Amino acid sequence: MALRKRLAHLPTHLVLGSISLVAVTPYLWLLSTSLKFPKEVFTPTPRWIPWPVNFGNYAEVFDRAPFGVFLVNTVLVVTGILAVQLVTITLAAYVFARRTFRGQSLLFGLFLIQMMIPIHATFVPNFLTLRNLDLLNTRVAMMLPFFASGYGTFLLRQAFRQIPQDLEDAAVIDGCGGLRFLWHVLVPLARPTLVAFGLISLVSHWNDYLWPLIVTDTPDVRTLTIGLGMFVQQESGADWTLLMAATAFVTAPLMVIFLIFQRKFIESFMFSGLKG
Amino acid sequence: MRRQWLAGLMALGLALALLAGGVEAQQKLIRLTFYYPVGVAGPLAKVIGEMTDKFNKEHPGIEVVPVYSGDYDPTLQKVQTAVMAGNPPDIFIVEISELPTLLAMNAIIPLDEYVKKAEGGKYWEDFFPAFRENSVVRGKTWWIPFQRSTPVFYWNKELFKKAGLDPEKPPQTWAELKEMAKKLTVREGNEIKQWGVTVSGGWNDWLFEAFVRQSGGWLINPEGTKVNFASKEAVEALEFWVELMHKEKVGPPHSTWGSTPPDFVAQRTAMLYHSTGILTFLRNSAKFDFGVAFMPKNRTFGAEVGGGNLAIARKIPKERQDAAWKFIEWMTSSENAAAWSLASGYVATRKSAYDVAAMKEFLAKDSRYLVAREQLQYAFGKMMAPNFQKIREILKKQLDDAVDGKVPPKEAMQTVQKQVEAVIKR
Repeated sequence: MALRKRLAHLPTHLVLGSISLVAVTPYLWLLSTSLKFPKEVFTPTPRWIPWPVNFGNYAEVFDRAPFGVFLVNTVLVVTGILAVQLVTITLAAYVFARRTFRGQSLLFGLFLIQMMIPIHATFVPNFLTLRNLDLLNTRVAMMLPFFASGYGTFLLRQAFRQIPQDLEDAAVIDGCGGLRFLWHVLVPLARPTLVAFGLISLVSHWNDYLWPLIVTDTPDVRTLTIGLGMFVQQESGADWTLLMAATAFVTAPLMVIFLIFQRKFIESFMFSGLKG
Repeated sequence: MRRQWLAGLMALGLALALLAGGVEAQQKLIRLTFYYPVGVAGPLAKVIGEMTDKFNKEHPGIEVVPVYSGDYDPTLQKVQTAVMAGNPPDIFIVEISELPTLLAMNAIIPLDEYVKKAEGGKYWEDFFPAFRENSVVRGKTWWIPFQRSTPVFYWNKELFKKAGLDPEKPPQTWAELKEMAKKLTVREGNEIKQWGVTVSGGWNDWLFEAFVRQSGGWLINPEGTKVNFASKEAVEALEFWVELMHKEKVGPPHSTWGSTPPDFVAQRTAMLYHSTGILTFLRNSAKFDFGVAFMPKNRTFGAEVGGGNLAIARKIPKERQDAAWKFIEWMTSSENAAAWSLASGYVATRKSAYDVAAMKEFLAKDSRYLVAREQLQYAFGKMMAPNFQKIREILKKQLDDAVDGKVPPKEAMQTVQKQVEAVIKR
């Protein structure tokens, strides 16, 4: 039985397996290159196994820039942004989804416009604001412009709106107020959306480059992407072995986070629904 | 359980939001901010750090704080943002074609007064004329050459031997180049195993200017007021590209600036047009013998320069500008120009830098580094104009379409002429 079941799944697994192979290949190549000597990188036929193995690239990367500090800063910045965003988008989405007030659609429209303005257009005004607050060259400077998220508000509002009115009516009859209802009913039910948004927020701010580069000056507050940028050169191309070693280091934490929380992510998608 | 975790996260967020950690530092007498990009491979951020440390030690009233600011484009954005916010860096390096943009923003001061007095009046004349060109506009000297490069021609001696060519004789003319490229292109069926010659993409607009110079033409006048894209020489240059890449198919029509040096190292192309800045990379990576030569000539040898210059901000007090000049003069002294060239692979900007002992010793070991300097006698300033990024886009689009065979070269260059004229008039 079990065998037949497995055989029945075989085509699916083959397809999925080959897709994951495509996805994993660049990463394996990255790891392979990060362990090579420069002369072994560009061979007429690609060589997968680095030989002789060169761990020196990683040491060299850490020697060129304080990547440990960069990692701490990056973690602080992305979790800081996400934590505040979760508060602001939850409250804003609640009001837009569950309350009615004058000018509501106009205000929501303005929120949506925030999604359409290219980030670069906001650099100068945001820079001026931070300067007036005397916050330039701080970690907060990298977080502040992202504390409110039009995209997150929109996403969560849609999720809240799909939760039946009956639940709220029942809650009100039992004497449950607005915020309590939000906390005990809406937020748990919208968890898949919150998780999805959290992932997007984490990854996109982990990858932020230009804004952190513009508002920070010193290595003690700078983030991983700026360190990574040091290995990409416009005029001469890159130091490939070092660039790959640095990239492996910069992407590894995200991979580890995903591997640890993978089950949770999938669970939270599966157990959503109307459970009361 | 899960909810507690979420609540904790939210509380943490609020705490972080309230925590505004400003970085205060002690005030020295004069503290200067210096934005710099890193354009070539190597631990250059460290080298700049070491150079500024040395300067600071030798100059007690001044402290220069170097700020790494990415590639050229991000550096320009960082400078522009800071200038617009009224908080300019005191000293900065940006790409040379951006001078008109800086002037339009009124971001920098002319340096003539300083330059005249420096090194007993002999300072400025010592820089190579081609490197000086992108500094002088409207009769004033605006900035000082620092990290400078120029395109050169690389060839793989082993592949020359394999193709029955003399490995010590690179092509001298366009015609020779074409003939050799044909012999060096290796095909297996429809697949090309080895290209004859690669004119690197990405900054192909920069290389194109060299080809126009080799025909004896020019593209934009130094003041950035006249454009000459539809000229006979420019069309001729593009026609030659189309011949190589489209008709004869001995060179790839598309590539990126970063991918062609590895292609050369992997022997996927036998000859390469690229910046002199990759020489150290090639030396460290190639397992075969290769040479560096002048780019082949059409009517004449020709090249243009590239790289970044040092400038001083306008909206800072006079004493800061004076201190900033001290730093620039120090960074561009013969000794430091030589040291910087040795560390980075850039061409040393001054003639006297080649008399510095360390430089002589180095060049005695590998004379290939001298080719770029020799070629400078045929080199000109790089074209520059306001909105240069826009102009680059226009030119690159037509170059790409032409080598794809989508547009005849003449028509392509006329389109560029029309569109760039419109950009410049604005």
